[in-house]
Amino acid sequence: MHNIIAIAKNTFRETIRDKILYGILAFALLFLMSTVLFGSISLGEDIKVIKDLGLAGIYVFSLIVSIFIGTSLIYKEIEKRTLYIIFSKPVSIAQFLLGKFVGLMLSIILTVALMTATYLTVVAINGGGFDYPALWSIVLLIFELSIFVALTTLFSTFTTPLAGTLYSVIILYIGHSLEMLLRYGINSGPFASFAAKIAYYLMPNLEKFNIRNEVVYGNLPSATTISFSLIYAVLYSTILLYLANIALKNQDL
Amino acid sequence: MINITNLSKHYGKHKVVDGLSLTIDTGTIFGFLGPNGAGKTTTMKMLVGLSRPDAGTITIGKNNITEITAKSQIGYMPEDPYFYDHLHALEFLEFMNELFPKNLRHSNQDLTQTLKLVGLDSARNKKIKHFSKGMKQRLGLAQSLVNDPGYIFLDEPLDGLDPIGRREFKEIILGLKKRGKTVFFNSHILSDVEELCDAIGIIHHGHLIYEGPVKQFMKGKPLETRFVETITNA
Repeated sequence: MHNIIAIAKNTFRETIRDKILYGILAFALLFLMSTVLFGSISLGEDIKVIKDLGLAGIYVFSLIVSIFIGTSLIYKEIEKRTLYIIFSKPVSIAQFLLGKFVGLMLSIILTVALMTATYLTVVAINGGGFDYPALWSIVLLIFELSIFVALTTLFSTFTTPLAGTLYSVIILYIGHSLEMLLRYGINSGPFASFAAKIAYYLMPNLEKFNIRNEVVYGNLPSATTISFSLIYAVLYSTILLYLANIALKNQDL
Repeated sequence: MINITNLSKHYGKHKVVDGLSLTIDTGTIFGFLGPNGAGKTTTMKMLVGLSRPDAGTITIGKNNITEITAKSQIGYMPEDPYFYDHLHALEFLEFMNELFPKNLRHSNQDLTQTLKLVGLDSARNKKIKHFSKGMKQRLGLAQSLVNDPGYIFLDEPLDGLDPIGRREFKEIILGLKKRGKTVFFNSHILSDVEELCDAIGIIHHGHLIYEGPVKQFMKGKPLETRFVETITNA
């Protein structure tokens, strides 16, 4: 356990000292503040527009942070051969991957927390009060990001950051379109139906984590929804990290 | 003692190390020599558990290197080492120290002493990305000593160092031997091998073609001359 903590601490320290992170964060905060302008040009729907754009902005920018850091996470260690030093110490591949994953998640949670604080301030200043339901949307976003980070970690064990980004974005897109794909497949013949069903059960169903539209109207998710989403995110991330462990074990450093 | 028995490794159809067996006594400095592509680095990577052999066993002290606990008693400095650019030298050593079980960890004072030993005391709070190649070599050596290991594996440790740095590294290596440590190192600089080593092994095309005391190998000639003769005649 101490190895996982040490690697997580080091990963967190490395990522928060990376200037790219600050660049993305600065853009994100500017965007969140600029939602006021978009709100002001809508007709009496300014708070709704601020909430809509604000939550979408947090989602997009946290994905950008995950992609920038996640897809090069392990690849950089293999390329720069820092892994040689780590694996000559009493550290297993599983401990290394878990430490990297936890460290990266902590960095992402910190950036999401900063964006959320800005969002809540902007909403409150514009008369929306404390947007408590939005916090549940952020909690589910973090669950989704854990799957996405595990996915980028898996790709970074065997492919370049560019290819990893491409694969991750494709899976992200599919993960948000599974219901639609399944409906389309079922209506397009037996083979398409079979393929759509396989994709539906194998791919991560990321729409489970999207409650942004509901919370904008003040609807809170049930405890069952939150618990189910948490279990789903933990299970899916564990499977992806287990696959990353196998992929890295089979690599000759 | 380091015991290597029948070690083999191939990449695709190319056999890089073929049936290598070697015994290295405790408290000695062993030089592992060979031309480029002979299999030196591959052998070292297997010795420190980075690469899995296709056949053969490696025992360090009483432990097989495939057991993760065996790594608590070794130190390894890779060739041309890379680090985490955003960390400071002392932060990096602290990180390395934390990777060992609690009973083997050293105090921050010990880590500062290790940095002092390799001549990096004044740069302990400097970011690694601002280090020169020689400073990185020094940090590479420092991290290999962080757990006070009994067995130290150094891959081309004297590369990139100026003459003063090389002298200091040689003194450190001899100091380690005096403290009863076993040092195994790869080097192309044969004058350093001649000066430091008790015994050598020569690998060529993956086969061990000589193992024994360095003086016995030299037969009164310079090591470089004997090395070239041996490789040419192999």
